[in-house]
Amino acid sequence: MPSLTTIISVAGASFAASFVEAVEALTIVLAVGLARGWRPALTGAAAALAALALIVAALGPLLGAVPIRALQFVVGVLLLLFGLRWLRKAILRAIGVIALHDEDAAFAREMRELAEAERRRANEFDWIAGAAAFKAVLLEGIEVVFIVIAVGAARGLLGLASVGALAACVAVAAIGAAIHRPLARVPENGLKFAVGVMLSAFGLFWTGESLGVAWPGGDAAILAFIALFLAVALGLVALLKPRAAALA
Amino acid sequence: MISVVVKQLIGLFVDDELLAAAILCAVGLISALALSGAAPGWLVGLMLAVALPAALAASVWRSAWRGTRESAG
Repeated sequence: MPSLTTIISVAGASFAASFVEAVEALTIVLAVGLARGWRPALTGAAAALAALALIVAALGPLLGAVPIRALQFVVGVLLLLFGLRWLRKAILRAIGVIALHDEDAAFAREMRELAEAERRRANEFDWIAGAAAFKAVLLEGIEVVFIVIAVGAARGLLGLASVGALAACVAVAAIGAAIHRPLARVPENGLKFAVGVMLSAFGLFWTGESLGVAWPGGDAAILAFIALFLAVALGLVALLKPRAAALA
Repeated sequence: MISVVVKQLIGLFVDDELLAAAILCAVGLISALALSGAAPGWLVGLMLAVALPAALAASVWRSAWRGTRESAG
C-alpha cells in the first residue's frame, strides 16, 4: 500500500509536468488554428492523440513483463536525465543566462512561420498546418506519457499518475478553449523548476532502490531528496545570479 | 519529420552532453560498486545523493561561467 507521501508526490509531479507540456502543445495548436483554420489544427491534434493512444496500447502491456528492479533502474536513470535537464535549464533561466520561455513569443513565431508557408503554398491542402499541430501534440504528448510511466510505473501507480496528467491536459484544453490565447501568464519557469526538482528526486530514489538501497524512512526519503535538490538549485541561483547580472 | 521527432526525443534527455555523461558515468560506476558488493547499501545511497546534485551544480556553474546565451526551449 503506497504511503500518502507517495500518492501526493506521484499525482502532483504528474499533474505539474503534464500541465507544462500541455501549455506548450496548446500554444502551437492555437497558432495553427488562428492562422490557418481549426480544421487542420484539430485534425493534426486528433491524429497525434490517436498515435499516442497506439503507443500507449503497444507499450503498456510490456511494462508488466519487465522485472520491477529493472524497471525502477531504467525509469530512475531516465528520470535523472530528464529531471536534471529541466532543473538545469530552469536554474539558468532564473539567473538570466538563458532567456525565459515566452508562450506569446512562441505563438507569434508559429503564426509567422505558418503565414509564410501559406503564401508559398496557397493552393495546396493544408498539410503543413496539420503537421505542425500533429508534431506539437505528439512530441509534448510523448513527454506526458513518459512522465506518467516514469513517476507511476515503479510503484504500481500508473492509474494515479494518468489521472494527474489527464486532469492537467483537460484543464489546459478547457482554459485554452475559453480564452483562445496562449497561457502566457502561467509561471512556466517556476513550474519547470518545481517539476525538475520532483523528477530528479524520484530518479534518485528509484535508482537507489533498484540498487538495493534501503532508504531511511522509506518513501518519505523522496521528500528529503526534494529538499536536497531544491536547496542545491536555490543555492546555485543565489550564488550565480549576481555574477550573471554583472556579466550582462 | 521522423528524424526531427527522433532528434527531439533524444533532446528530452540530453541537453548538456557533459551533464548527461556525468549522470550516466556516476550511475554506472555506483551501480558497478553496488552489484559487485564492494559498497554497502548506505554508501551507495550516499554516493548517489552526493554525485547527482554535484553533477547538476558543475553543469550549471560551467554554463553560467561561460555566460552562454543558449536558446530557450
